[in-house]
Amino acid sequence: MPHDIDRRGDEAHQMKRRRWLQALGVAGAAGLAGCSGGGDQETTAETTEDDPMGGSETTEGDGELPSVSGTYNSLASATYETLNPIYNDTYGAGVAIEYTLDPNYSFRPGTEQLPLTMELSSDDNEVWVASLRENMEFSDPYGEVTAETFTYQIQEVQQTEWANTPDSTNWYRNDEPLNVEQTGTYEFQIELPSPDPLYLETYDPSLYPIPIDLMKPYVDEEDAKGFQEDEDLLELTFTGNLGAFSLDEWNRGSGITFSRNDDYYLQEADDLPEAFSNAPYFEGIEISVVGEEASRLAALETGEADTAAVPPNRVSEFQDLESTYVSVQPQSYNEVCTYNMRDNGWSAGPGNLFREKKFRQGLASAINKERLVKGVYRGYADVEYTWQPPWSKWFPGEDELMTFGTGDLYGPKETRSRIESAIENVEYDYSYDGDRLVTPEGDQVSLSLYHVAGQNTEKNFAQYIAQELDKNAGINVELNAIDATKFANDYWQQQVPDNPDQYEWSNGRNNAGPREVTSKNAWDMSVVYGLNAYPLNPLTADVFFLKDSVYNPYGYYPSWNAKELFQEAKNAESEEALKEALAEIFVKISEDQPMGMLAFPSDTIGYNSSLQGPIENYFSGWDFPTWHFEE
Amino acid sequence: MGLEWYITRRVAWAVIVTFIIVTLTWALLTAAPNPQVSQAATQAALQGGDPAEARERARELRGLDAPLHERYIDYVTGVYTLEWGWSESRNQPVTEALLESLYYTAQYSVPWTILTILLGPLVGIYSAANQYSWKDHVATGFAFFGYAIPNFFFGIILLLVFGVYLDVVPIVYNTDVAVFSLENAIQLVLPVFVLVTGSIGGTMRVSRNESAEYINADFVKTATAKGVSPLRIYARHILRPTMVPLSTTIVAQLLYLFVGSSLLVEVVFGIPGLGQTTFQAVIAQDTSLVLGSTLFFTFIATVGNLLQDVVYTVLDPRISFDER
Repeated sequence: MPHDIDRRGDEAHQMKRRRWLQALGVAGAAGLAGCSGGGDQETTAETTEDDPMGGSETTEGDGELPSVSGTYNSLASATYETLNPIYNDTYGAGVAIEYTLDPNYSFRPGTEQLPLTMELSSDDNEVWVASLRENMEFSDPYGEVTAETFTYQIQEVQQTEWANTPDSTNWYRNDEPLNVEQTGTYEFQIELPSPDPLYLETYDPSLYPIPIDLMKPYVDEEDAKGFQEDEDLLELTFTGNLGAFSLDEWNRGSGITFSRNDDYYLQEADDLPEAFSNAPYFEGIEISVVGEEASRLAALETGEADTAAVPPNRVSEFQDLESTYVSVQPQSYNEVCTYNMRDNGWSAGPGNLFREKKFRQGLASAINKERLVKGVYRGYADVEYTWQPPWSKWFPGEDELMTFGTGDLYGPKETRSRIESAIENVEYDYSYDGDRLVTPEGDQVSLSLYHVAGQNTEKNFAQYIAQELDKNAGINVELNAIDATKFANDYWQQQVPDNPDQYEWSNGRNNAGPREVTSKNAWDMSVVYGLNAYPLNPLTADVFFLKDSVYNPYGYYPSWNAKELFQEAKNAESEEALKEALAEIFVKISEDQPMGMLAFPSDTIGYNSSLQGPIENYFSGWDFPTWHFEE
Repeated sequence: MGLEWYITRRVAWAVIVTFIIVTLTWALLTAAPNPQVSQAATQAALQGGDPAEARERARELRGLDAPLHERYIDYVTGVYTLEWGWSESRNQPVTEALLESLYYTAQYSVPWTILTILLGPLVGIYSAANQYSWKDHVATGFAFFGYAIPNFFFGIILLLVFGVYLDVVPIVYNTDVAVFSLENAIQLVLPVFVLVTGSIGGTMRVSRNESAEYINADFVKTATAKGVSPLRIYARHILRPTMVPLSTTIVAQLLYLFVGSSLLVEVVFGIPGLGQTTFQAVIAQDTSLVLGSTLFFTFIATVGNLLQDVVYTVLDPRISFDER
């Protein structure tokens, strides 16, 4: 149950929260800050600074339960398209749905499984047994939640073609449906074709309980449209005691109100902290849609809202206010500068230098990452060298990595020597004329860089890249502000060819084929999207690095054996072996520089001072039902 | 033959106009590729299915495989029976989405329109009556200021002063309060003020110049000489002729009673009205909702034009409708 902060990319792209499509999420919109925090920070949030994913218990230690009081007012930056739990694929609506309907499990600090409606366990990592809690009820007339509730949904909805659910692919392995079997009233099992120790971390088995009687008419008719438009699903009227709150009203344009669920099923759970026994502690929740960041921050300042994302340049202001504090929470989206290696990239002249590993290394040496973190992100970010944040347990350690953009691997000399050796590899006559990189025609190399219009932090980020490339690489960068949806449709995604079979691969609009398949409009570089590094299960990130994966808008062909190494990692049978395999992958990525990997900003989230619960941890919000206002 | 015949012809013409517009929108939509169909094909390709087959299935599902004339008749029937389809971006029927938004738009557009129509001419006449005095300059300055300053910027500044610094108005628009309640009045004061100051400038200037012409007219001098009270002179002898050229503008403005939504003001003040709904629908490529709001605005504009023509001929007997 995460905090209620939308991410820019989720709105623009309606990406799935938990699966690879999350990849598109642009790294934290509003407030991105490092887990380093600030020394003088005044915060009542618990901190786990040494280990941002590490263990930390709820705030209640003295056995006295907080009292139920107040309404938790949160803000969303965009309206919700649907609250239908089966068809929602956006982060923001997911948060709203989970106020009323728990998913089957989540994670708590320490990457420990947090069993919600069920506990998933396995002796061999191949057969996973789901044991349900026995006190779960839907609203009338739908009755009790049993194992059949889930097996029916998996077999009759998720594993069918007609329903076309966003989570459908989670229930297949190698194009074969997973075998799911009910083994008792409150128990069922999922059989994987091969052991997967990180199965839970993929979030593949994630499910919401939906009454069979509600699904059945649509299943019988194979009526996907009716299923999507069902009023009970859209208005979450069936949720019974399955969530901490019940939905009162969803006003499409302005927001949602919820009221406390007095008989929340987790109150009886004996495997959770004591604070759950009378949870939740708010009388209600109100989510208001406020499109303007300035208005959201003003609402936080005046106390109309209890939480809002704070951009890095205003963190100290909100830390200094008596009525608010800012919690710095690491998150998994990075800030990358992607290079277009397809045929319509590199508009500067003939050829495409982005395809040269040495050239990409040169660009990486041109940007001072430490100054970026300090200047643009005000210290609330970590420097990025490879596809994993430094606080992840899978991070191989800096000694192993090519630390471009810092220390000896930063500066004009480092940059130019690499760019010059890249030029030697290509047939075109690029060269340095004084400080300027020039084309065979003698003009300075000039490249476009796209960023989202109206996002100040991102604009500063783009400007910084432009300055550094100009100063150290002699490349002129033209900045272009663009609407995220327009960028996605006309630049990022390719036009699917009419005859996809004639290409070696064609995997949908995010990788519609080899480099000759291009988007409608040409582009050179982009910082529009931040991509997910998947610190829980880095294997999921393979899509970014395989040339024929479903996600390769930038036309990257690895110069290393990416496919084999990922396969090797997937076959690893122990965590140690997996760690070793991943370390090798991360080293290769830091060498090959598929894109400019620059920073891991943290979320900087402002809260009302009297709010107790948020922690400075990747898993902040795991115990949301126990959050409360201090009396 | 006369007024009735003229009105009948105008009404008939309005019906034809809406019909042409409906037909044109249908033709444009039919000619454009359907994004949902292409999406279905892409999805199929992504999952290893047959894109052509998926495209066919999606076309069948949406009735796009029927002959053109059938689709046209279905569409026109749908439009005139208010079955405007399902909004994909809000997951509710289009008509419901439009009505819901209209409810919030009307709450600020009604006071805005009424105040504009009342205050514009009044401030204008006041200015004319005190021509070239400091009062005239203040009134003119006020009108020009409101006209010149962008609404969204003025809104943000006012919100900052009254919402953040003085904390007398809420920043987050609350849809839960009753329409006729003090809370609602307080949260609507700023948007209405911003919109009124933005729109009275034009009316005020026209009425000031027009009435300045009549202040020195012979019939006004006569009335003054006969001892008619100044109030009556302004109300009956000056305001009335001033209103003739203003009437067209004002009738057009009256239309805004319900549809005069302002996207930027709605965004700044967080009002979930028609402007935002339409804008979001365009962004989300929600074809049904975009079409619905287009039709809605089209109908209102057609009816408005009709009313304007009729009112014009009724108000000013010198304008002949016989030869039209």
